[in-house]
Amino acid sequence: MSVQDLSLHRAFAISLVMAAFAAPLAAQVPLVPPAPEGGFAQEATTIEELRWSPGPRNQIGEPEAYTLSMMLEWAAANNPTLRQARFQVSGTLAQAQQAGLYPNPTLSYVGDNIGSDGTAGEFQGAEIRQRFVTKGKLSLSREKYLQRAQVAEHLAVVQQFKVCNDVRLHFVATLAAQDVLVLRSELLKTSEDRLKTSKELYNLGQANKVDIHRATADLRRHQLELLAAENRVRQQFFRLSSLVGVELPARPLEGTLASDRQLIDFETAYGYVLSGSPELLAAQAKLREDSITVRRESVQWVPDIVVSGGTGRNFTNNDAVANVQVSIDVPLFDRNQGTIRQAQADQSRQQQEVRRIEMILKNRLADRYEQYISALQQVTSYEEDILPELKAAYEISLKSYRANREEWPTVLDSHQEYTMRRLEQVQNLQQLRSAEILIDGYLLHDGLEAASNPTPPGHIDSTPKPR
Amino acid sequence: MPANDDSKRDRREFLQHGLMAATALAVSEAGLRQVRAEEPSTGDASDFAARLPPHVRAEYDGFSRLRPSRGNDPDSDFYLGKLVPGLRKIEEGPAPFVAPDLEKLPHEFKNGAKEFHLVAQPVTREFLPGYPMNVWGFNGSIPGPTIEVTQGDRIRIVVHNELPEDTTVHWHGFELPVQYDGASVLTQNPIKPGKTFVYEFDVHEEGTYFYHTHVAMQEAFGMVGWMIVHPRTVFDPPVDRDFGLIFQNFHIKANQTISDSWAMDWNWHTINGRSGPFTTPLVVRHGERVRVRILDFSPMQHHPIHMHGHTFWVTGHEGARSPKSAWIPRNTELIAVAQASVFEFIANNPGDWMLHCHMTHHMMNHMVKHVGPRIRTDEHVDQFLANLDSRPSVNPGHDDPGFLVPGYPQKMQGMTMSEEFMKAIWSRREVQGMRATWPMSVMGLMTTLRVLPDDLFEKVMNSDEQIPKGSVFEEIIARFGDPNTYDKPSMNMMHGGRKG
Repeated sequence: MSVQDLSLHRAFAISLVMAAFAAPLAAQVPLVPPAPEGGFAQEATTIEELRWSPGPRNQIGEPEAYTLSMMLEWAAANNPTLRQARFQVSGTLAQAQQAGLYPNPTLSYVGDNIGSDGTAGEFQGAEIRQRFVTKGKLSLSREKYLQRAQVAEHLAVVQQFKVCNDVRLHFVATLAAQDVLVLRSELLKTSEDRLKTSKELYNLGQANKVDIHRATADLRRHQLELLAAENRVRQQFFRLSSLVGVELPARPLEGTLASDRQLIDFETAYGYVLSGSPELLAAQAKLREDSITVRRESVQWVPDIVVSGGTGRNFTNNDAVANVQVSIDVPLFDRNQGTIRQAQADQSRQQQEVRRIEMILKNRLADRYEQYISALQQVTSYEEDILPELKAAYEISLKSYRANREEWPTVLDSHQEYTMRRLEQVQNLQQLRSAEILIDGYLLHDGLEAASNPTPPGHIDSTPKPR
Repeated sequence: MPANDDSKRDRREFLQHGLMAATALAVSEAGLRQVRAEEPSTGDASDFAARLPPHVRAEYDGFSRLRPSRGNDPDSDFYLGKLVPGLRKIEEGPAPFVAPDLEKLPHEFKNGAKEFHLVAQPVTREFLPGYPMNVWGFNGSIPGPTIEVTQGDRIRIVVHNELPEDTTVHWHGFELPVQYDGASVLTQNPIKPGKTFVYEFDVHEEGTYFYHTHVAMQEAFGMVGWMIVHPRTVFDPPVDRDFGLIFQNFHIKANQTISDSWAMDWNWHTINGRSGPFTTPLVVRHGERVRVRILDFSPMQHHPIHMHGHTFWVTGHEGARSPKSAWIPRNTELIAVAQASVFEFIANNPGDWMLHCHMTHHMMNHMVKHVGPRIRTDEHVDQFLANLDSRPSVNPGHDDPGFLVPGYPQKMQGMTMSEEFMKAIWSRREVQGMRATWPMSVMGLMTTLRVLPDDLFEKVMNSDEQIPKGSVFEEIIARFGDPNTYDKPSMNMMHGGRKG
């Protein structure tokens, strides 16, 4: 197709897509009148009687078109799940901050033996108490939550891929719907021509009323297909704009379904996914967090030293006095052994979780790769053989008609077959592009699923004193 | 190339140099040319009558060889020109047999017989300019080359089979030893691919015969040729022209070159392997006695052959000349499959006359349903070709009020012919001077009989002169018709009406 043809094609596509966003059209489509008795020779058909009419145009200025980069940019700024994921990270960082904070000292006013010898007491004064955390428990706690924050970051990347992949998938789906609309319009033109040709044949005694009725029903069917195609453009656009997270005025999309991607090899793709999947990285980061958790719980039994001391006055003898206390918990019965075991169990579970995710990725890749390779075979065959052959058949049939050797109904059949195969190619290209997007995007999709927190399903909490 | 181009070139060169030819065939033609060269014709009837050879007359019992006439009495020997002789004498031998667009098969005398070599082979034949079709024939031609012998000859025909399958050749109508009948495996073993078979027999017959394969579908695929046996003594009355036309039908789909011999309906129709307007006209001089032999070798269809402007006598059929008492005058003769009919008439009505099968669908080629852009005022197929990925919209109604009439349109529209096509059509001498629109009306099983006054005949057939389209026809109108009521064709007519 030449550049001029492309711009004409695009202008036509834009006009069709604009019509697609008009008010529901079903009520506006006129019924095709029934065939009159006695034939069609006297029938004066009008466009309004036979032709489906598009609805009112969108009133917003001149048609513009959205590009994929615009959509991605808007989604990055506005998709709520991305914000959720960012909040997960900041929340976990806050946890890390909190976990590493030194315990505050406690300041007390103490009155002891008040009333002794009719005095204020044997000790009236202030005490300060401070816990000294041992064995690096605070740094380990902070380290644990910092590691958890890394998990949250990886999960945020997962969410980004989900959103971007979904935007790409739905952009492609909307482009495909636009192309389908153009091709359905082509089929409608041929169906209209077929009815007209049937009437010409009828007038020559070469078709009968049955043929006219069938052609009329076929025309109606193609009108419905066109309406359905318009509906699908609308549906796909709204799905896309929901992912983007902003209310977008209805405009056509600019882009091409064709793929210039190099061939994807399964083993290479598998290696790529395993080495870079943010889901897997998140799981591995969680495993590191679990390892830290085990270390943290392992030092929990080491008692902290609590030191307290203070000064005051003994009102019984009016002496200035002081007191000091040092205490530790004696790990006689509770050495945190249960919690340590919980942490170890969670760590072991997470090791299997990493393996599970690897298996899930392989499972998903198997499906996507099958979709990819089958679509690639279809696209290639259609591009190199099927469409050129059918285009040549259509062209030859037109030239043969011009030389008075071919019949017009046969030309219409050739055009219909060529266009039906072009429709199939649109589906093939959509399948191919979708598979490529998912394989390149680590098989992630569903950009409106809530961002997950860093605690994976099945996580075993290390609860010191379960109640 | 038309069959006798070499001889035509010889005649033109002869005329230009003004020399006498030496052969018997050339003598008669040359004699006539000599007379006319020395005394340029004015085309005037009295002038023509004065220039006739002394042994013939212009008029016989009320029948004139110069103008359409009946004769005084249906029982007269000269009624409708029945026994009116041609301009040549019996002793000059038979008039040369001409099958337009076909060659003659040469022979040599060998071991007491005229030996011919016939090669059965696949052939590509241009039915129309730019339409080469795949059929089977003989010696590169379909129909095959004409075998011409004389009554009493012993002939030997060596058939070489270059087909990829078995074949035999049947000599239709000959009463010969049964082992040479060629009736497939009934009378001989088939001729295997790459092998030969020798048919040898004495010809005691005279008349119009033909040869053809005797494998059924090979017959439908085109394998036939003339076999003309001249009588020992030239028939009386002698003819000046002797033409042979073989009518065939084929079914060839659009975008296809191979004939479907199993089809039961036919869309390509040929005369001597050409479809109208690529059939070469039969050109005769005003006043000559003409014989036309027509063979129907269609697979399954009979042909009612009609000649315009003249009434002919049916003087024979395949295999024998009829006794004069059995001759029938008519202008349309039904010829069944594998039958031949022989017409004789005096070419007394100058003009370009259609000679054609009168079956409607045989008067066109590759007929298709007549619907689509061709009959719509606001569409043209070129709009569709301009962009194969996006077709034009169609207006559901018709602006042409003709569509309010049931049966409209019956007239074929949009029959345009390309420049290369027209160049090939107009390249032959035989068509020079015809009306500019003649190719639009002669199609399928149609050809033309051109009856030309001497001077116009010389101009068309024996000169290299550039002849403007329509000029010869207009001259005939001027001399024999009413030029005041004659309209030349318009440009629109020359482009076939509407468009493609």
